[in-house]
Amino acid sequence: MIELREITKTYKKDGNLEVKVLEGINLEIKSGEFVAIMAPSGMGKSTLMNIVGCLDKPSSGAYFLDGVEVDTMNDDDLSRTRNKKIGFVFQSFNLLQKTTALENVELPLIYSPEDIDIKARAKASLEAVGLGDRTTHVPSELSGGQQQRVAIARALVNNPALILADEPTGNLDSASSDEVMNIFNKLNQDGRTIVLVTHESDVAEKAGRIIRMKDGRIVSDERRAK
Amino acid sequence: MSSGKVINIALKGLSKNRLRTFLMMLGVIIGIATLTVIVSMAKGAQHKVMKSIANFGPNAVMVSAGGGKMFGPPDEKTATLTIEDANAIKESIKGIRHISPFTVNLEQNIIYGNMNTTSPVVGVTPEFADAWQWYAEQGDFISDEDNSGMSRNCMIGKTIVKELFGDQNPIGESIRVNNTNFKVVGVLSARGSSPHGMDMDRRVMVPLTTAMKRLYNVTYIGMIRLYAEDPAKLGDISNSVAALLRERHHITPPQEDDFRVTSTEAMAKTVKGVSKTLTTFLMLLSLISLGVGGIVIANIMFISVNERKKEIGIRRAFGARAKDIMNQFLCEALIVTLLGGIAGTLLGIGITKGIAVLKKMPAMISWEPFVLAVLFSTIVGIAAGLQPAKRAAAMDPVQAIKG
Ligand SMILES: Nc1ncnc2c1ncn2[C@@H]1O[C@H](COP(=O)(O)OP(=O)(O)O)[C@@H](O)[C@H]1O
Ligand SMILES: [Mg+2]
Repeated sequence: MIELREITKTYKKDGNLEVKVLEGINLEIKSGEFVAIMAPSGMGKSTLMNIVGCLDKPSSGAYFLDGVEVDTMNDDDLSRTRNKKIGFVFQSFNLLQKTTALENVELPLIYSPEDIDIKARAKASLEAVGLGDRTTHVPSELSGGQQQRVAIARALVNNPALILADEPTGNLDSASSDEVMNIFNKLNQDGRTIVLVTHESDVAEKAGRIIRMKDGRIVSDERRAK
Repeated sequence: MSSGKVINIALKGLSKNRLRTFLMMLGVIIGIATLTVIVSMAKGAQHKVMKSIANFGPNAVMVSAGGGKMFGPPDEKTATLTIEDANAIKESIKGIRHISPFTVNLEQNIIYGNMNTTSPVVGVTPEFADAWQWYAEQGDFISDEDNSGMSRNCMIGKTIVKELFGDQNPIGESIRVNNTNFKVVGVLSARGSSPHGMDMDRRVMVPLTTAMKRLYNVTYIGMIRLYAEDPAKLGDISNSVAALLRERHHITPPQEDDFRVTSTEAMAKTVKGVSKTLTTFLMLLSLISLGVGGIVIANIMFISVNERKKEIGIRRAFGARAKDIMNQFLCEALIVTLLGGIAGTLLGIGITKGIAVLKKMPAMISWEPFVLAVLFSTIVGIAAGLQPAKRAAAMDPVQAIKG
């Protein structure tokens, strides 16, 4: 499903100072895997996630998503791909403020070209994360764990094959973290591919495959039997 | 993306910050309200003027004694227009269907029983009726016999009937005009107001000869009314009449004319000229306020796009294309200006009605302000929203989502 070849990312700071964040990432992720990418803060986890999520482009290297080289896609194709194939979950939830849980979950469906019963699908997705009774709540009326579950419902609602979670438990207490991780586990059991980045090893432990990064490279890649 | 979805997103975006939305609307509301007031008042004024010009008569040329004066009957100094002048015009100028010399004496005392009022007294011949297209609605018009016999028959207008007789039938009654008894033989049809705003139904009409010899003992007349066969020839006829009268009155430049020739054409021109300058000026004013309103909207939109970076990034992450973001912000701008336009039109109509009542000015509420409002609102909305919307659409999703 995902194939990264010699991916690098270099940020140009003001002046001519260049920061090399990724220095040649080679990685293959198969459909149905649950992968945790581990690295300390500031080591390029989010950068890698944005590239995999078709939000950002690498400085060099090739990225194939379902066999298509992402570099060949134009901006509209990338938007459609994010809409159809990818569901993001962020550390800071990134819900629209002053917007109800239901309307937040509707977001990907609104941009879908398909003819969908938006309200019903969004409601079902909220129910799937146990928030069927919170549809009219706005983010400020929800706990952190609830907000992250709304965000997961939003990531799931358009039925994407790939869930990308960037430190999804980073802002949560341990009970909420467990809840969220259980949801990911269940989604993976249902056949969805999940790529999760974290700097916490106990979170990474929940995944079937743990990849460790250091200095912009992959230093270990271990598969674990369930 | 369907336009229904875009409108829905835009409406939600606007409702999240009502104060900002209202401030954006304000300029358009004021601009469109001004525009509406101007259009309604200008139309009302024009309508009134055109109606009274129509009252003057579309085929009419009026020759008045006295040159410099704008209107009104002649006094001793300008007593130069005569029946002979009228006859000469009739004989030598082509294209005149009816000609009616008449006298006018303003503010005459009219008494019936113990009621009294004042009215202009007009001395007329039977041709007055055709020249003015103004007839007796009840009873008879002044006849040739009335003129040859200098009879003391008269006709009165509707206002005089109301003031002296109320509901009583005036025909056959006797009234005193300037201390002479007259018998009412006819009631004139209603005529409304003149181009100068005079009540044309406040009239007493007597035979021309009676007015000249019995009532006022004068040899001159006040005016000559011409009814042209072809309204397109009004200009030519006016010029010929002026030339003939100059010759008859021995006027050579640089001497000023001792008469004045007026036609509907000339009146319409001056009236339209004046109202056009005024309307143009006021239009310009409201366009400037719309322009300022547009600049305000553009600025608030730029600030808003900056404040809503994170929202833009989130939408992009979940599949919004650059053009979807563009449409969202452009649509917000258009909704603001269109709602502002509608609110402005309604406010403008309210103000117009207020002015019409308070200042007793004519106003006409018509469809034009609505069309103008929609047109200008759309233009302002697109002009003001385009650049901010482009900036929103061009944002890098990764940077935007960081807020
Ligand atoms: N737009 C950017 N411009 C310059 N440097 C950036 C930019 N984005 C990220 N970086 C830098 O790249 C490095 C990796 O960032 P990030 O991928 O967010 O790390 P992580 O998610 O692992 O904490 C950091 O040192 C960060 O400062
Ligand atoms: Mg990060």
